[in-house]
Amino acid sequence: MLELFVYLLCGSILVSGILAVRLDSVLAAAISGGVASLFAAVCYVLLGAPDVAMTEASIGSGLSVLIFLYAIRRTTEKAQ
Amino acid sequence: MAERIFMIATILIFLGAAFGVLRLVLGRTAVDRVAAVDMLTVVSISLIALYAHAAGRFIYLDVALVYGVLSFLAILAIARYLERGL
Repeated sequence: MLELFVYLLCGSILVSGILAVRLDSVLAAAISGGVASLFAAVCYVLLGAPDVAMTEASIGSGLSVLIFLYAIRRTTEKAQ
Repeated sequence: MAERIFMIATILIFLGAAFGVLRLVLGRTAVDRVAAVDMLTVVSISLIALYAHAAGRFIYLDVALVYGVLSFLAILAIARYLERGL
């Protein structure tokens, strides 16, 4: 059961990563990167590393999306 | 009885994650994807809490707590971005 969940989470990470690379919209790509980080955090918990999962959840899923969006907004303002 | 309840909860969590990923893949607008991310966050928190009980290691509940406290940050940033506020 646990192995099945880990495999499904790894498949979801793969799908989110492919979406983050392939999507046309930059906002949707940033969101997909955040989702990949979210599934990675759950995967770390299931594999027995709660401290790594806590760091991944706070930095990877929360802070990195915020920084990405801030950078997107600043660069598009400069381009216009 | 408790085993059966856990099995039902596991199946429901799996279905929720599957439909969330489906909406993320198919989502036409960015708002669809934001809603899918918000739902997937709640599903992940419930999965971590269920696994904390199933494994008998309640340190995992701290991860769920931190995730619940910090998960609104990304959604808030995306909402501010969509409203031209960030």
